[in-house]
Amino acid sequence: MFTRIFNNIIGKKKALRAGELKLTRSDLEFAEGMRRKMHSVFGRSARIRQVDAGSCNACEWECTAMGNPVYDSQRFGVDFVASPRHADIILVTGPVSLGMVLALKKTYLATPGPKLVIACGDCSKDGGIYRGSYAVTDGAAEIVPVDSYIPGCPPTPRDILAGISRTIDAFIK
Amino acid sequence: MNPANEIHKKLTEGEFREEAAMLFDNGNPLMLMFCVDEREIGGGFTVYAVFSLKGEDLFMVLSFPVTEKSGRFAYKSITPLVPAAHWYEREIRDMFGIEPLGHPDPRPLVLHGMYPDNLHPLRRDVTVEQIRSRIDLEREDNYNFVKVEGEGVCEIPVGPVHAGIIEPGHFRFSAVGESIYFLDPRLFYTHKGVEKHFERIGFERGAALAERVSGCSSFAHSTAYCLAVERMAGVEIPEKAKAIRTLLLELERIYNHIGDIGNMCAGTGFAVGYQSGALIKEKLMRLNASLTGSRYLRGVNALGGVSRDVLEKADEILFTLDEVTTEYKDFMELLTGSVSHMERLDGAGVLSMDIARKLGATGIAARGSGINQDMRTVHKHLMYDSVVFEAHSRGKGDVLARMMVRADEAECSFSIIESILKEPYPGPLAAGIKGFPALSSALGYVEGPRGSVFYFVKTNDKGEPLRVKVRSASFCNWPLMPFAVRGNIIPDFPLVNKSFNLSYSGSDM
Repeated sequence: MFTRIFNNIIGKKKALRAGELKLTRSDLEFAEGMRRKMHSVFGRSARIRQVDAGSCNACEWECTAMGNPVYDSQRFGVDFVASPRHADIILVTGPVSLGMVLALKKTYLATPGPKLVIACGDCSKDGGIYRGSYAVTDGAAEIVPVDSYIPGCPPTPRDILAGISRTIDAFIK
Repeated sequence: MNPANEIHKKLTEGEFREEAAMLFDNGNPLMLMFCVDEREIGGGFTVYAVFSLKGEDLFMVLSFPVTEKSGRFAYKSITPLVPAAHWYEREIRDMFGIEPLGHPDPRPLVLHGMYPDNLHPLRRDVTVEQIRSRIDLEREDNYNFVKVEGEGVCEIPVGPVHAGIIEPGHFRFSAVGESIYFLDPRLFYTHKGVEKHFERIGFERGAALAERVSGCSSFAHSTAYCLAVERMAGVEIPEKAKAIRTLLLELERIYNHIGDIGNMCAGTGFAVGYQSGALIKEKLMRLNASLTGSRYLRGVNALGGVSRDVLEKADEILFTLDEVTTEYKDFMELLTGSVSHMERLDGAGVLSMDIARKLGATGIAARGSGINQDMRTVHKHLMYDSVVFEAHSRGKGDVLARMMVRADEAECSFSIIESILKEPYPGPLAAGIKGFPALSSALGYVEGPRGSVFYFVKTNDKGEPLRVKVRSASFCNWPLMPFAVRGNIIPDFPLVNKSFNLSYSGSDM
């Protein structure tokens, strides 16, 4: 046991064995690529301020699941922070209900640049199923400049991680 | 025609007050209260109140027409007699412009400052374009928070954007030292106009919208919606659909309960417990995805039945649940064996039985406070009349009681799933719905992970939706929060909040 922990620290291997969690080879390659990218762009880590702008809470639970031992997004340096002042990325979920317009704007303004805005989930793109309701806007891009979208209702934790990775790719170019 | 277990009584305003007060005083809980704009079908504004009759599978649906007095619609509020009606009446005032005279709380509930005064979204003659053209995003929300004055009182505003990954809501704490003296929540930031949207998109697309009212009770909401429409149309769904719906409802309950028990560990800073719970939850979510293609069990429910034969994968369900049961036992041993964790839970956030009953608590919140009310046993729907199980409750009303109710129920759900999978269910997955009868209505209900979920649907003379009323468990339980946190220290608020684990989106809609 002790040797395993020691090897993990030295070799920076994943804390969990692949077999236990039924991870596939592509998962592992994805994870390694993600880790490298984070280091090359953000030095060490990309911090996210998640803003629920009227989501049904499925996207929130998936963001929470990103921190569980299976996905463990922290090992790539992807972590959620409490203050927008500490954030590099704003992750918006939901169709932006009118009640959240001001809060979303304020969060955007409070985040120091350079910053990226990712709209997560189908309804943050164009209102999704709520489109046409009196109480929502037609997506996050109406309120803040959006850099990329993550499709899915809700996107799985892996989709969200992949979406963040893609956004960073585009940012490098 | 109304479904067999609904007794409808058309009353006058005075009779309604008396009857409602009498039913409530005799211990029949108020399940929901709402208004329907029936002007286009030759009526007026009608207020409905639905009571569940104690010990019987019967709903008493009382209604009365609101009369117009000098240009405005008003009636005498029933909140002083039936406290459980307080949020419903405020909701009716916002959405229909009907004033409950003598209501103790004159503040708006649903609509924030940006919405125009004197424009009530759920009135049928108010169009979306009309509302949109009059919305002023710059207008401030002058909500009149309760002010506590006195020496050493400190006011702490929190939200709507919280520190963690949580839904938005504003909490105004008035603290004396470290203790919470008063909490005034301001919710409805995620109000999405779902009820009006239901009327616009028609019944067929409604199931998909119901799934998105509250993410982690997706299946409970869509089942309640489908049951309401099916009961209205007089369609009996096949046995197989019943079995699959019951099975998935229980799967939803298990993943929520185990996830919630794990999340409570985050409230006490017990990281190992938190991650263990998250790991079990992840396994169950993956099972959901493998069965239905969605981690939130979306896309299965359709009007008339279900769209996927989940029972084909019975082996996989049993295999995963077998694994999870063992892990879950270890997990509970870990938690109950951790003194520092249990000590925080014990005696925190006490909700008294009296308050829970008066304010109409439902689900875990009610059962943690000794009110043994479970839709699955009282109003047996789907397969719950044939599976044997008990509703669990604990009397203490604290965080620990709510955790233990969840633990008991999760175990119970394992056995319900096993007993469902023992039987074969031949036959089709869904029954056809030929059309929606005109001028009909019905209730649909299930016991979701957080408590009872209700839908009420009513059609107009063309068989189109006239009103779809959604009532999630969270709507009933949010008003309890200020009572449960009173006297607790502020650092315990997240813990108490997590023990209820209410959905903001479900109550804001």
